[in-house]
Amino acid sequence: MNIAITDPHLMKSGRSLRSLFQHSFVLTKRSVLGRLRQPAIIAPSFIFPLFFAALGSASFHKLAEDPYFTKNIATSFLNYAIAGAVLQGVLFASISAAADLAIDIEQGFFERLLASPISRTSIVLGRLAGSMVVAMFQVTIFLMIFIGAGARIKSGPFGFLGLVIGGALLSLAMSAMMAGLAIKSGSSEVVQSAFPLIFVLMFLSSAFFPRHYMSGWYRTVADWNPISHIVEGFQGFINQELDFSQFAKAWLLPLAVAIVSIFFALRSLSKRLAGS
Amino acid sequence: MSSSPVFPSIETGLHAAQPMEVIKVLVQRSMMRVRRMPSAFIPSLIMPVFQLIAFSGAFGFAVTSLGIKNALDWYVPLNAIQGASFGAVGVSFGLINDMQTGFFDRILLAPTRRWVMVAAPLAAAIVRCIVPVAFVIIVGFLGGMNTPGGLLALVCVAISAIGIGLVSCAFALGLTFRIQNLGAATLTQFGIFFTIFLSTSQVPISAMTGWLRSVARINPMTNVLRLARQGFLGDVTWEGSWGGLLAIAVLLLLSCWYAMTGIKKFDQ
Amino acid sequence: MSDSPILASGLVRHFGSGANIVKAVDGVDLEVRQGEIFGFLGPNGAGKSTTVRMLTTLLKPTSGTATVAGYDVVKNADMVRRSIGVALQDAAIDPLMTGRELLALQAVLYGLSKNAGKNRGEELLERVGLTEAADRRVSTYSGGMRRRLDLALSLVHEPTVLFLDEPTTGLDPMSRLTLWEEVKRLNAGGTTVLLTTQYLEEADQLADRVAIIDHGRIVRQGAPRELKAMVGSPTLSIKVGIDQTDEARSILARFGDLRTTSEGTLGVGLARGAEDVATVIRALDEAGLKVRHLELDEPSLDDVFAEATGYRLEGAGTADTGEKNSEAVDAQESKGRRKRRNRS
Repeated sequence: MNIAITDPHLMKSGRSLRSLFQHSFVLTKRSVLGRLRQPAIIAPSFIFPLFFAALGSASFHKLAEDPYFTKNIATSFLNYAIAGAVLQGVLFASISAAADLAIDIEQGFFERLLASPISRTSIVLGRLAGSMVVAMFQVTIFLMIFIGAGARIKSGPFGFLGLVIGGALLSLAMSAMMAGLAIKSGSSEVVQSAFPLIFVLMFLSSAFFPRHYMSGWYRTVADWNPISHIVEGFQGFINQELDFSQFAKAWLLPLAVAIVSIFFALRSLSKRLAGS
Repeated sequence: MSSSPVFPSIETGLHAAQPMEVIKVLVQRSMMRVRRMPSAFIPSLIMPVFQLIAFSGAFGFAVTSLGIKNALDWYVPLNAIQGASFGAVGVSFGLINDMQTGFFDRILLAPTRRWVMVAAPLAAAIVRCIVPVAFVIIVGFLGGMNTPGGLLALVCVAISAIGIGLVSCAFALGLTFRIQNLGAATLTQFGIFFTIFLSTSQVPISAMTGWLRSVARINPMTNVLRLARQGFLGDVTWEGSWGGLLAIAVLLLLSCWYAMTGIKKFDQ
Repeated sequence: MSDSPILASGLVRHFGSGANIVKAVDGVDLEVRQGEIFGFLGPNGAGKSTTVRMLTTLLKPTSGTATVAGYDVVKNADMVRRSIGVALQDAAIDPLMTGRELLALQAVLYGLSKNAGKNRGEELLERVGLTEAADRRVSTYSGGMRRRLDLALSLVHEPTVLFLDEPTTGLDPMSRLTLWEEVKRLNAGGTTVLLTTQYLEEADQLADRVAIIDHGRIVRQGAPRELKAMVGSPTLSIKVGIDQTDEARSILARFGDLRTTSEGTLGVGLARGAEDVATVIRALDEAGLKVRHLELDEPSLDDVFAEATGYRLEGAGTADTGEKNSEAVDAQESKGRRKRRNRS
């Protein structure tokens, strides 16, 4: 998908901070529009998480009869399932966003951007920012659907906002990582092949079922899996009063991953530019 | 042999190709494609095993709390059916590929009966089903799965898995003949996915609530899962079997009709 | 009853309906005689491939009738398929298989016994020069090799009628010549060939008779020699300055009929050919017009086409320029094939 860059400001050199922001803004806009214009690509990242949440709520509602569950985890399985759905949707959408970057490389549009007087960093930042915007939009829609279905966010509007920002940070972390992979490999197939790995990691966590009820090696893996802690941070916003631990898990953890991932992405970009 | 009314001295072509010979060679071709492009087949092998481990590990408590001894007893039949259906649907990916390369035109031009073009992929699908099913069962045994129903348990799960595999393949063929692009594959996978999960995939009907319970009660997959699971949860009985067998038979009939009407469109 | 191997009467094929209807073939009558090579010439989108697909039973006509090898293409489609060999626009081959495997598969599809199929396969591989590459996967074959294999596949069951749909599109000149030789050899052996092409030289070199199709209708039909003679005299093409075009045109009109030529040039038919060239140039010179370029062309099939349709055949040229044009042509063909697949 091509959106012509017609902003005359882009004719200026890409070296200043101002131009970095300007270029990133334009490319963010392109990224967001590109996602929204491909409903067939974006739909699965909405449909499947919501479906799994609905399925889980209807299948595992009896868990709410366990006093431990209602006291320590969530008031209902629907309330529990929200966080997993948000996580799943954001992660899958982020992989698709990175695949778009890989397609740009495959189809030569990436080279076109490199040949234009725009900031190199903005090529990556635009994608990441676009991914964050879509994630915030996605999380907001998810929460509204769940609230409409009867779920309640115990920490109120701040918790709602906490989830939206947490989703954006998670998206930043995942799309930066996948963007690095896209730039390194130049192949959308390679990026898409990360999907099963993410799928595996999500199952080996408390995204779909509480860790408390797992056992053996599975429980051990889930305990150590960072996704468990991120999703529990999200669950905290939904099922508990506002608390620092929720921000630590839902914000700081993805942010830490994001910093490493962004470094990886920018390093991949500079290696690619050096190679060409 | 027959002669052209215009050129009586020339025998036109040869006798019509023997259907079984054509089916055999097309099945061989399908297997050859698996050998030469294993990356297309491996996901249908790995994903069911992964899901078996994931479901039994993550959701195990939900079924063991209902009195089921081992979560694997509950999930092995489900994942065997999933593996079989996705393995079988892979045959339609080959068909889509043939349409894109133009090779499908060559098959259409051959003087073979149209039903052979449905029967051959279905025969290939049987072979493609068996491998994932066997894989899942082996992993189940290694994980300590129980089979109080004995050999009949394995027979029931095999019948269920292969039956649903054939249904999935026929459905995929019908869609592919109509849509003729990768959209058919996506739609097929969606269809199978929702059919399987909107049944007793995760918990028994007694543990469900609301809309899911209503849907699962009328979903034929619920009967098929009952047929497949009974030998892993207890004895194999006629009461536990006939519903699944009937569901498989009806679904097979409908999906084969769908596939046949799809291939006939090429003559219209 | 006519004894022609291919006979079509009023063939029509529409796609879509209502306001969106596309008349791909709009009433085609043709007759291909026993033992001839019949060329079907036209630009992309003219209806050539659609006509071939109807004659080979891959597409049902909207209306009209056709018989191939004496069998109705709709009522006796199965018998038609047994009698014909087809090599379509796309080399219809499986890239994962080897050449030998594909021939063996084709042999089974056409009912040959295992031994007969094997022998036939070896014979055809030898004939098309693919014996050495026979056990390599087709994905490693060049474009020319794929076309040759495609031709071999269409000959497995020794058909009496052969359909070749743009068999040399995208091939280099050497591969093209090789394929032409093979077609001539087949025809010498008694096979009737219907060949579609957009290359004028190919039609000229191979075809005993040619039908020119445009917008779904046959606009001219006959032997190439006869068609060219109908156009008449040679065409003088000149190039002058842009500001001199109108004056040059009026001068040329004094010497003969003005003709459609390639963009940027003016054309006139000269009754006495080369003898009149000097007179024309002198007239232009006396008018102070500078001639930058001139060519004298004998009538070609392109002239026949231009005379019939009012425009030159798109991508027209000799087979030598086929390569240059093939990229643009292939892009259009792909679009047409995708549309056709979606429609059918």
